[in-house]
Amino acid sequence: MNCPLDTRENTQLLLDYCTRKLEPDSVAILERHIAICAACRELARGQRAVWHALDAWEAAPVSADFDSRLYRRIEAQVPWWTLVVRPFRPPFRTVTLWRSLPALAMACLLVVAGVVLERPAGAPAPAATDRAQVDSVQPEQVEHALDAMEMLNEFSRHVRTDSPDSKL
Amino acid sequence: MAKRVKTDIGTAAAVLDFDTELMLRVKEGDGASFGVLLEKHRSSLVYFLYRMMQNHAVAEELAQEVFLRVYRSRSTYEPTAKFTTWMFRIATHLALNALRDGKNERAQDRLDDDTSDMPVRQVSDRRPSVEQSMVYRAKLDEVRRAIAALPEKQRVAVLMHKYEEMEYSQIAKVLSCSESAVKSLLFRAYETLRARLAHMA
Repeated sequence: MNCPLDTRENTQLLLDYCTRKLEPDSVAILERHIAICAACRELARGQRAVWHALDAWEAAPVSADFDSRLYRRIEAQVPWWTLVVRPFRPPFRTVTLWRSLPALAMACLLVVAGVVLERPAGAPAPAATDRAQVDSVQPEQVEHALDAMEMLNEFSRHVRTDSPDSKL
Repeated sequence: MAKRVKTDIGTAAAVLDFDTELMLRVKEGDGASFGVLLEKHRSSLVYFLYRMMQNHAVAEELAQEVFLRVYRSRSTYEPTAKFTTWMFRIATHLALNALRDGKNERAQDRLDDDTSDMPVRQVSDRRPSVEQSMVYRAKLDEVRRAIAALPEKQRVAVLMHKYEEMEYSQIAKVLSCSESAVKSLLFRAYETLRARLAHMA
């Protein structure tokens, strides 16, 4: 292994070693090197001493009223209109209402779409049937029907002419 | 495309970081989640600022300002980084400004005559003797002076590395510099501290 002190980047290995952040494999390699390298040994010893000295620096506990002071400061920054409106607020949050608006809109859209799609299924169907029936009548059939009507008219005219009432 | 990548990063951060989840709930109006964040990070933030400023009252004042800013920024919060990275970035910014404004001078004065910030240390349930107490206070004073003598950025890097146990990458994000720059800062800072404190072993 090359000496970590050869480059500044690699010196980080020694720092990590002293702070026990190094991988076990790297620890074994570095310890073999430290055993034969006086400079690294000295740096590791000094670094451990610094670490130990810094450990001794304990901070005083946080004041008991830290949170209450903070909440008072937060409350002091609440705008006056919020304080006025607060007692009249609905039981649910405005944010929740805003968030539920797209869902409500989607539900309304589905209901409207259902109504619109349901109506044409009932109403235009008979018209379509009528058209189908008309389309199915051939011109010859119409001609036959007209001829038959003509014959019936002719027949009824003869019957009326031959009857005794007509002579009177 | 860039927006999408940013959103993806944000989503990943939100999944990985529970604090980010809490902050997103604060954004939605959940005050209880802010209480959880406060409970979780109050001590570490005050301790970090105390070690930066070396004055307990100033540290608490700045910590309050940090939480106040976090709360005020809730509506515009975007989870582009870990919550602690964001919080410590605000804290570092405030602390460095306070140091430049001269609050550090008051802190330095306190180093000479005030030891009220120091917790009373007890060894094995016994009260330390006067001599032990004096030795401890002398050592502590030396540590505090050594840290205070470091350049600002080196001080921030050491405090985050040693006491907050942050990764190099996170310190880099807080200080808005590269990871190699952080390693370089730490190398120089520990070199100075070794020269001043190695005899304490």
